[in-house]
Amino acid sequence: MSELKEQTRKKARLSVYFNKRLASYYWERLKKHKLAMAGLGFIGFLILLAVLGPFFTQDPTYSDFNIANMPPLGFSRQESVYDIKTDEFTTTVISGRLDHPLGTDSKGRDMLSMLISGARISLLVGLIATGIAIFIGSLIGVLSAYLGGWVDNVLMRFTDIMMTFPFFLLLVLIVFLFGPSLAIIVVVIGLTGWTGAARLIRSEALSLRTRDFITASRALGASDGRVMFNHLIPNVASLIIVMSTLSIPGVIMAEAALSFIGMGDPLSTSWGTILNAGQHTLDTAWWVAVEPGIMLFLTVLSFNFFGDGLRDAFDPRAII
Amino acid sequence: MRNYIIKRLFYSVIIAWGILTVTFILLRIGPSSPVDRYILNIAARGSDVESVRQAIEARYGLDKPLLEQYFDYMGNLLQGNWGWSFSASMPVMDLIGSHWIYSFQLILLSTIFAILLGIGLGVLSAVKQNTRFDYAASIFSFIGISIPNFWLGLMLIMAFAVNLGMFKTYYDTSYSIWSLENLRQLILPVLALGTGELAGYVRYTRSSMLDNLHKEFVTTARAKGLPERTVIGKHVFRNAMLPLVTIIMFDLGSVVFGGAYLTEIVFGIPGLGQVSFNAIFANDYAVVVAVTLISTFLVLFINLATDILYTYLDPRIRYE
Amino acid sequence: MSDAILKVDNLKTWFYTRRGTVKAVNGMSYSLNKGECLCLVGESGCGKSVSALSLLRLFDSPPGRIVEGHVLYKGVDLVNCTPGHLRSVRGKDIALVFQNAQAALNPVFSIEDQMLEQIKVHYDINNRAAIAKAQTLLEEMMIPAPERALKMYPHQMSGGMKQRAMIAMSLSCDPEILIADEPTTAVDVTIRAQIMHIFRRLKTSRNMSIIFITHDLSLVREIGDRVAVVYAGKVVELAPVAKIMEEPAHPYTRGLISCLPDISSNLNRLPSIPGNTPNPLDLPPGCAFHPRCSMAMNICSSNEPFLTGIADDHMVACHLYNARAGENK
Repeated sequence: MSELKEQTRKKARLSVYFNKRLASYYWERLKKHKLAMAGLGFIGFLILLAVLGPFFTQDPTYSDFNIANMPPLGFSRQESVYDIKTDEFTTTVISGRLDHPLGTDSKGRDMLSMLISGARISLLVGLIATGIAIFIGSLIGVLSAYLGGWVDNVLMRFTDIMMTFPFFLLLVLIVFLFGPSLAIIVVVIGLTGWTGAARLIRSEALSLRTRDFITASRALGASDGRVMFNHLIPNVASLIIVMSTLSIPGVIMAEAALSFIGMGDPLSTSWGTILNAGQHTLDTAWWVAVEPGIMLFLTVLSFNFFGDGLRDAFDPRAII
Repeated sequence: MRNYIIKRLFYSVIIAWGILTVTFILLRIGPSSPVDRYILNIAARGSDVESVRQAIEARYGLDKPLLEQYFDYMGNLLQGNWGWSFSASMPVMDLIGSHWIYSFQLILLSTIFAILLGIGLGVLSAVKQNTRFDYAASIFSFIGISIPNFWLGLMLIMAFAVNLGMFKTYYDTSYSIWSLENLRQLILPVLALGTGELAGYVRYTRSSMLDNLHKEFVTTARAKGLPERTVIGKHVFRNAMLPLVTIIMFDLGSVVFGGAYLTEIVFGIPGLGQVSFNAIFANDYAVVVAVTLISTFLVLFINLATDILYTYLDPRIRYE
Repeated sequence: MSDAILKVDNLKTWFYTRRGTVKAVNGMSYSLNKGECLCLVGESGCGKSVSALSLLRLFDSPPGRIVEGHVLYKGVDLVNCTPGHLRSVRGKDIALVFQNAQAALNPVFSIEDQMLEQIKVHYDINNRAAIAKAQTLLEEMMIPAPERALKMYPHQMSGGMKQRAMIAMSLSCDPEILIADEPTTAVDVTIRAQIMHIFRRLKTSRNMSIIFITHDLSLVREIGDRVAVVYAGKVVELAPVAKIMEEPAHPYTRGLISCLPDISSNLNRLPSIPGNTPNPLDLPPGCAFHPRCSMAMNICSSNEPFLTGIADDHMVACHLYNARAGENK
């Protein structure tokens, strides 16, 4: 008997967080958002690429100077070599080859495998760092709003200080001091990027706190913890989901920017790292700078589209 | 109002002090010392490394305990002495004094460009809601906010400087700051930095205008017989401005600095971004702390200015 | 009638939304005489507010559009006149008082700013004269310390003061016609009395022609000369106030009147009209009232009744009377 009760209770608690009918309602709304679905499609493609890609492509760090600066399939470039003996320029045309469909860089590394490696890194950094940031932000936001008083004051002043910090300088500084490893980059972005989330969630939770259903559950004798986990958090959940999605682009760009100025993890190939190399060969091998940028741009665009669609889907006032 | 400003100023000093302390400590507990660069040169010449190191450290007080160095630094700072830059071999003040103008000019021009065009396009887009123009503006702004500014910079260099030869591929410091030639070579950097901002402002302006376009006071204004120009330009716009001011100022404080520093690196503009990144790599802590502090103060000043501006824009807001 | 200064003829304002066409105003006809107060009465959502906005084309367009009909003012059809002419009529000849002054006044401009911009757009006068005019108007609206009130922002005023400032603003260019859209709905009872007092005075002292929109028949009794009962975007009965109150003809009007609480009777339950207002997306065919009508006939669900006179000054749109008129002929 009591076991049954326990089970029902567990089910009831779960249902607060995941309601199948509600989820399918939101999904129906989201499906009408064409740009969001396009974004989701590209993100899915990217995940597939990142997971399966390495099984089909070569090692992104393998370099072969004999095939350096090979253009992508369908393009060609002319190379003029000055022969000191004959005092003549010999011009050869190099065109793209099927075994390196996106070309090679100045060290003869395969662009396709480097881009796939970059996709892995961007997604990894984007998801984990956003996870850390949103977790801290939600915690601080909800605590601050719910407990109020001096706790709120201290937490919000702390948030103010973090917000005022010149974010990118701090990032570069810490990564420089503790060494440019992927783990450190992820943790630092996560630990510094939560301020916006904290503020937004705090204000949302504050407005919820005075709503009748919270007062009612308090009047029925619910504990602080119960009110927070059963009522406050489920109700800010949609906000948290939207914000997480819309935070990912910033994180991915931050990692790319760090790698671009040469502060990326030297052991891994990210889009920023390729761009860093590509900026010096704009005149000879344009594709090295163009390709990772396009990937970065499309990824960020997709997350923005998807996040925007999610926000509309969750917003009862939005007409879709 | 006066009391409020004084309170805010006091508060700003506290935040700045906190940030200064954190930066100082971060830098001094780092693995390398500002003297390392010198030592490297001396070691190459085969002198007695250790004694030279000790001499230099004693000369600049780097052998003292961390706390004492911190108080020394604070004492100097209060007297207006920002310390000595090891990497540039000159006082920090002089270094910053000769470089700040490049950053200032870049930020100023791109902000003006972004605000004017962004608000203009946003207003038009809202007034012509759901027309082809509106859709084009929406797509443009999605692209604009998703394009990494450093990559956009590279692409602009590639297209207009390398391929079309319309600009030099490097930043020429021989021109005087406000000369026409210098402004001309800033066109690409301003585009690279400003496009993202611009795109954001188009979005914000559009949605803020739409929020106000169907308010009842707009119908009142039309019922009064006012021309459409006044209805939109005065009644709607002034109300739409309120949230915009906060967003624009926030952007200016947080996004622009990071973006500007990156843009400087892409285009080789010798502004504070270059200076601070070089200083970080050289572990030149006095410069890093100074740049961090200046950026912080600017952000705090912008925040305060926003609040004051707000009281003029919205008569409902009064500060105690 | 010859001295009508405004004639509304078969006006149709439809809203083309994603969910379908909302026929908010669907063939509205009435006329307004000089110095008269015409009350538009009906339940909420019957289209009376939209019809007021339609006179000056003030509804949101798109999605709204006037698909048919005319609004004749001084020989010009306001439905298809030039935007310039329409602007010169708005606020100058025909002025509007909105339901909710809190929302209708712009929160970021002072009362002075908002009054003066209207005066200056219609009159070629200097600042000082305009300020003097605004002050006189506020005084007329019984606002204490008008020169101080002018400098105020809406949020600094009480609800009643805002509503009176709003009326002062609408009077600032001496309009011929005042359209008041439920001007007392958003205020409390004491202020309602003040506002109604102001409207009565406007009629006597300025001989103002007023279109007074309300759902409250007790206000109609207080101020109205004639009443137009509106149902589903149409006028269903049009008659002097006394006639409507004494001998309502249309079943809907009869229902409305019987819903008026009567102190002398001691019913336990207030009578009400059965059913709901029709969905404007999907109006019933024939007479829109027939599903709720206790006297509905076969013809009511197929043919639309037209507004016809049953007495000199009494018009009604109902097959009960149309049929009788036919028999008499």
